[in-house]
Amino acid sequence: MPTLIAPFGNADWLALAPVLVVAVAPLVVLLADLLVPRALRRTSALALTALALIVAGIVSLQGWGHPFSAFGGGFQAGGFTIVFQEVALLGALLSLPLAGRLGRDDQTGGGLALLLWSTCGALLMAGASNLLTIFLGLELLSLALYCLCALAAAPSAREAALKYLILSSTASGFMLYGMALLFGATGSAQLAALATGSGSHVLLALGSGLFLVGFAFKLSLVPFHVWTPDVYEGAPLPITAFMSVVTKAGALAVLARFAYAALPQADAQALLIPIWVIAALSMIGGNVGALAQTDMKRLLAYSGIAQVGYVVAALAGTTPLGLRYAMFYLVAYAFMNLGAFGIVGLLSRDHEEGSRLTAYAGLGHRRPFAAAAMTFFLLALAGLPPTAGFTGKLLILASSVDAGYGWLAGVLIAGTAISIYVYAKIIYAMYARRTGTAPEAQAARRPEPLRWLGVGICAVAVFVMAFYPLAPSDVLPQVK
Amino acid sequence: MSPMPVDVLNYVLLSAVMFFIGVGGVILRRNPLIVLMAIELMFNAANLALIAFSRVYENNAGHIFAFLVITVAAAEAAIGLAIVVVVFRRAKHVDVDDVAGLHG
Repeated sequence: MPTLIAPFGNADWLALAPVLVVAVAPLVVLLADLLVPRALRRTSALALTALALIVAGIVSLQGWGHPFSAFGGGFQAGGFTIVFQEVALLGALLSLPLAGRLGRDDQTGGGLALLLWSTCGALLMAGASNLLTIFLGLELLSLALYCLCALAAAPSAREAALKYLILSSTASGFMLYGMALLFGATGSAQLAALATGSGSHVLLALGSGLFLVGFAFKLSLVPFHVWTPDVYEGAPLPITAFMSVVTKAGALAVLARFAYAALPQADAQALLIPIWVIAALSMIGGNVGALAQTDMKRLLAYSGIAQVGYVVAALAGTTPLGLRYAMFYLVAYAFMNLGAFGIVGLLSRDHEEGSRLTAYAGLGHRRPFAAAAMTFFLLALAGLPPTAGFTGKLLILASSVDAGYGWLAGVLIAGTAISIYVYAKIIYAMYARRTGTAPEAQAARRPEPLRWLGVGICAVAVFVMAFYPLAPSDVLPQVK
Repeated sequence: MSPMPVDVLNYVLLSAVMFFIGVGGVILRRNPLIVLMAIELMFNAANLALIAFSRVYENNAGHIFAFLVITVAAAEAAIGLAIVVVVFRRAKHVDVDDVAGLHG
């Protein structure tokens, strides 16, 4: 082997393969944009992006059972990484059918390239096991998203981009300063060095506090959630759908790895208590915030805040079972949330009209299939049977009581009770009134097979997962 | 002679002061350009802390970290300025309080 590449063994490349696929694919997309005739550009960009995401998903799955590491321990493959990578790839793939309207025709290639790079950041975060990789993954994810938010022509999209930029960068600042203090505690950027617990306790506590504040911002947990509804409402629909799954998957991966593997055992439970409190606040705050919303995207933003609260609650006590159930619920959340966004996409044709809640009045009579699917996804988000949301919540309740966090289970039930009212209100509006807005001209509506395909996949997955709660095993995160 | 003539605590305290000036700037200033500068200040506070700690432990990890942070901060500033230009292209002056179309 030539000495130049000696630091990189084969295992390094295998560990990084999915990340590399998604990092190189945008170049192909951009190149194809130059070579393909104008009329085919949108189609070719979408097809290439979908292909890249599927290939990366398959490549990532090949690594099951092979916990390779790369960058001298900075990136760790293995079961944990693969689960979060698959969720991120799934989120990106299922937001593609919505991307038919992403920017102008000549912006599609660039937009999808940015989407892929953003996904690449999430894939890096899924396996990041040193502070530097976490930071770079997060920034790659965020920087591409700032641009994507600003891609739509509407002033609201630009406003969303500015708000997202300023608040998210501030959160990055908090997180980075926390990282600097964590580095100061041990003198190493590796998470494994923290786990030994040999460093300064003051720096460790301060550093992990700031680090977790930054991540609570990124995960939009209460009380760091104020940016989320504005950004979700203003951003183009495919980007909102993408953000609601991919950023959360990436940030949750880092949070879970930090909680499970990086904190020294002696201090971990005490240092993490604020995170469980924040999860409880999110479960209540997200659902209460959703009560007053008149816009579907804002409502789904608040719903997402509560849903991430449930996932974090599953981690309470950092039990191995809790992690598996958190992963199960995250996958279920990805499907039901993307399904709901898919329906919003089906209802909004030229503009964002499908996101107003008034557009849903009487929907059950105008478009019975869309209304039925929406009802199913809303039931799943509320956590009612027969959906994966119900099964997932049951598992989380079991694991949090098991871990000695009965109060979190109580808060989860209270939050669910509020959320049932939120979603039932929409379902009632869809079926109760016959009129609502003027019926859409049936003939004028274009058939949208891709979007229905996406919605169908989500619906089947949410239904099947309800009966087969296969929480993956062998997924405890490693740090080297 | 010790490799650190100035106690490292001073560097860390200075970085903490810089960090809080940055936080204050983000919260208090209304001009998005100044807000972006305040965010840069937060990043650079972290850089200073990283390099100071790197000298305490006498390794290079902190320096490498700081270099990458500088790179990322430059990219962030470029995107940030582009977004500010796009948002305020038609406005006479720039003020983050004017950007309030989305709320509820």
